[in-house]
Amino acid sequence: MIDKQLFSLSGIKKVTIMLVGLTVLQAFMILFQGKYLALALVKTWHLRPLNLLGPLIGLFFAAFIGRHLINWVKSIVLDRFANQASQSLREQLLTKLFHVGPSLVAKQGTGNLVTMALDGIDEVDNYLTLILNKMLNMMIIPWILLIYIFTLDVKTGVVLLLVVPIVILFMIILGFAARDKADKQYAGYQLLSNHFVDALRGLSTLKLLGISKQYANNVYSVSESYRKQTMAVLRIAVLSTFALDFFTTLSIAVVAVFLGLDLLNGKMPYFPALASLILAPEFFLPLRDFSSDYHATLNGKNAMQAIRQLLALPEATQRQALTSLTTFGANDELEFKHVNVSYENNNEHDLADFSFKVHGFQKIGVMGPSGSGKSTLINTLGGFLLPEVENGGQILLNGQQVPHLSQEQWQNNFVYMPQKPYLFHATIGQNIAFYQPKASREAITAAAENAGLTIWLKQLPAGLDTVIGEGERGISGGQAQRIALARAFLDRKRRVLLFDEPTAHLDIETEAALKETMLPLFKDHLVFFATHRLHWMQEMDQIMVIEAGRLVEMGTPQQLQQKQGAYTQLMTQMKGAKL
Amino acid sequence: MRNPFQPLKKDNWVKPYMKKYKGLLCLILVLGLLTFFCGAALMFNAGYLISRAAQRPDNILLIYVPVVLTRAFGIGRPTFRYVERLTSHNWVFKVTSDLRKRLYLTLAKDAAFFQQHFKTGDILALLADDIGHLQNLYLRTIFPTLISWFLYIIIVIVLGYFSWFFALGMALLLAIIVFLLPLVSIAVTSARVMQKKQLTQQLYTDLTDNVMGVADWVISGRENDFIAKSQPTLKALRKETLATKRFEWRRDFCIQFVFAIISVALLLWTNRYFTTSPAAVNWAAAFVLSLFPLIDAFAPVSQGVEEWPIYMSSVTRLNNLKPQEQALPQQAKLPTTVPPISFQHVEFAYPNEPNIINNFNLNVTAGEKLAILGQTGMGKTTLLDLLLGDLQAQKGAITIAGVPVAALQEQRKELIGMLDQKPFLFNTTVRNNIRLGNLEKTDQEIDEALKAVQLGPLMARLPKGADTVVEEDGARFSGGEQQRLALARLIVQDAPIILLDEPTVGLDPITEKALLHTIFSVLAGKTIIWVTHHLQGIQNADQIIFLEHGKINMQGSPHTLYQENARFRKLYALDSGE
Repeated sequence: MIDKQLFSLSGIKKVTIMLVGLTVLQAFMILFQGKYLALALVKTWHLRPLNLLGPLIGLFFAAFIGRHLINWVKSIVLDRFANQASQSLREQLLTKLFHVGPSLVAKQGTGNLVTMALDGIDEVDNYLTLILNKMLNMMIIPWILLIYIFTLDVKTGVVLLLVVPIVILFMIILGFAARDKADKQYAGYQLLSNHFVDALRGLSTLKLLGISKQYANNVYSVSESYRKQTMAVLRIAVLSTFALDFFTTLSIAVVAVFLGLDLLNGKMPYFPALASLILAPEFFLPLRDFSSDYHATLNGKNAMQAIRQLLALPEATQRQALTSLTTFGANDELEFKHVNVSYENNNEHDLADFSFKVHGFQKIGVMGPSGSGKSTLINTLGGFLLPEVENGGQILLNGQQVPHLSQEQWQNNFVYMPQKPYLFHATIGQNIAFYQPKASREAITAAAENAGLTIWLKQLPAGLDTVIGEGERGISGGQAQRIALARAFLDRKRRVLLFDEPTAHLDIETEAALKETMLPLFKDHLVFFATHRLHWMQEMDQIMVIEAGRLVEMGTPQQLQQKQGAYTQLMTQMKGAKL
Repeated sequence: MRNPFQPLKKDNWVKPYMKKYKGLLCLILVLGLLTFFCGAALMFNAGYLISRAAQRPDNILLIYVPVVLTRAFGIGRPTFRYVERLTSHNWVFKVTSDLRKRLYLTLAKDAAFFQQHFKTGDILALLADDIGHLQNLYLRTIFPTLISWFLYIIIVIVLGYFSWFFALGMALLLAIIVFLLPLVSIAVTSARVMQKKQLTQQLYTDLTDNVMGVADWVISGRENDFIAKSQPTLKALRKETLATKRFEWRRDFCIQFVFAIISVALLLWTNRYFTTSPAAVNWAAAFVLSLFPLIDAFAPVSQGVEEWPIYMSSVTRLNNLKPQEQALPQQAKLPTTVPPISFQHVEFAYPNEPNIINNFNLNVTAGEKLAILGQTGMGKTTLLDLLLGDLQAQKGAITIAGVPVAALQEQRKELIGMLDQKPFLFNTTVRNNIRLGNLEKTDQEIDEALKAVQLGPLMARLPKGADTVVEEDGARFSGGEQQRLALARLIVQDAPIILLDEPTVGLDPITEKALLHTIFSVLAGKTIIWVTHHLQGIQNADQIIFLEHGKINMQGSPHTLYQENARFRKLYALDSGE
């Protein structure tokens, strides 16, 4: 029942000890609250005047207030602890993200990771706030009360003690029954619960098909069958609360009757009976509290588990292994020798026995059918994917062997441009200067000019200071590529360019204009350019043709053309009919 | 401060449904009241029972009634609670079905509105969430609050029977818990709720920048900046959260403090009121003990009401949905033969923007294949929306076989079919998706359409064939396959005019080539308007136009353009890699 992962949190011991102390104190407050209330009522019952009640009422009042003051203190302690623990978890998560990089995002999905860092952490926070307190309450308060009740009346104590296992047993049985029922319906359930959003998103399609009005009845009837299914599950799920409620309430009723009969027969005096009756509901209260928050805590528990799993993922080590490269220059060399790369859960290699060597500022075109491994190569070159350590593959930079390209020195040397460059929620200027936040305004303006952004920037009222990105003004695909290009123009020390289908989403005119801007940048750079667009091949010194993860051909365009091999074959497959 | 109840003044998303299902609603309230009544009555009875028993009456029958009642209330409380919970959930789900249908119909009413505001799935998900919020509004705020009010009235009346003076005192004390503190909670938290919402949005943006931009962060080597990015927002958010929590702690303590005073008052009052005779004194414990179960009814009201501002922003958003239903002229009926299309002097601008379409003229003959090219933002998709009648031109006329498109809206699905960049597939079986094109088609006709789009072999490979579920967003199938499924839907729909809005963008050239081949062979004979981003497959077009600034700046057949236009030749060479 106790979640073991809690023990890994720093500061948990101190908080637990503090809480145990407070809870024991609170249990006595509850005990005194009941005791003095009973004593005061006994005085009334004996027809005593008010002034005799005074001290007892005072003590009752003090215990009542003390009990809730302790709650307040506990809240403060727990909040501080939960906040510290969840913030540190968030920080660890971000650090992990930075160290594992894009492959983590690819594996987890963007939405999933953001949700984890945002809502997941909040759920963990909530979980930590609730769980310790509820558990300790349940482990301490009832038992202190029970000992006292035993001293008052053994029979009541026995009844209360017996009810606990019965309640727990029933809750477990009913809990399983509800889960079973829910599991059986799960597939259909998911379909139904997502149906509504699906219908809204498909609305324009439904309009085109002329059935949008008819479909409204479908929306209603699906929602109704969802209601019926949910109610069927709820009827059982709520039963477990019912069982808890039923047995605890009934046991109080039973205790009352037992006490009444004993009193009637003169077996016990009034005070112990009254005190037992008052304390009986308090005995069950922690158990009820625990079960009512059980589901809220379950989400937090699962979120915490998911985050901890993610934190346990392996990350690149030896990121400083590379020492032989400061700025990539005309005489530097990069070599792959029999390199293998696999995505997780894939039996085949995504890059297999991959060997090549490039020297200085060459332009390398990377071609191949869809799914052949072009992106895998670019990701390996960027250090976002790590090659297999077994199988004896080697990556060499200027002859120095490195385990992977997630090398700080290497990563300082290149600019990466994917199909859709990501634009940060910041000004255009800050986006351009992302690799060099300290760049001067003049340098940024010049880079924007080189990237062909000037005319567009002039149309914007705030120019370079226009805020873009998430939730701000939309940027067309062409402009986004130009902003990414400006980064390369700005940072002259980065002499390697990695392109992964940068123009795949652009229309032909935009692509033609962008090409004019890009070609001058290629000069004095080592370029890897993966694309489906054939015209880029004319600009390349070397072309790699990849098929099913293997480098099948490499050479100058002329050589490959003459060879009439994989390259020419691919060209024919891709080319349209001639006009 | 803005009035927190303002959204309910002109509301028609919450109140009408409370009226519509008022019978069940009353039942829920009665059940809720009975639950608390039984809880209090159990302790009342038990208190009386043992007090009376302690006096050792000679006749056991004197405590027989309380004994029976104690058991009855003991069973009654959990039973009523169980039934109440089920009834209230059932009620809320019923209302949800109504609300969903209504939201759906509201959004379906207005095409142009929908096009402009709801293209992104985010807003749709937001609206769907709003309905979820309404569920909580009922379950967590409205029901418990109403029940506490009724209980309050009953308690005051019952006490008034014994002593109007004491009842007045209790009424005032309880009013602090039932009315005053909830109002204070709304006042204190509503400003914070908004502030927190903004900060959460900011945090979302920060984290998205971290996650989506992680490649650039790694390359830049700015690890410290990466971690520090969200720190200011987190700090501000923590400050707000802590302030809210502190208020809640203080408030919850106040509530308990008031209950402490109430119990002391009860002790004092019962001591004065019931000590007149040994018979009366047994009621003292009964009254005092019945207070404690009632705390559960009153204490959580403030907490439930605190969420009011969140719910009200959902209520406001739903109430603000006011679709402009387009007034359609007298509807015409065209035969479903292949018609010509004409644009005459068309001008169009989106609200508060310059014209995107300027004095645009175009004739498409029956059965012609027209390709439209142009850079992003030049109005290609706008032209298609105008032709569909989803947007209305400010000037000029758009006609199909001489009839204005506005007069053909009721017949639209028989006339126009469309394939866009990412076809929408519903999360149901392949066959159901295709049947949406024409609900009367038989399984056999659907299978033929699947074969026509070359999906026959794929369907044969799937264990469930055409009964395979496509999964959310068609995720079961690749981009090219999804387009082919949508194409099969078009075949089943069998409209004479087909609009293609960049159906091959994002596909690799080999897939693209094959898809275009299928599209033009199965749709031969129809009038096709094809918006495309490059020149692959352009030989399928009879006529090409290049749009620039809302006008045609190049026009002609592919062959003429290739021979006569240098710019076209350059683009063509680029596209074919020569």
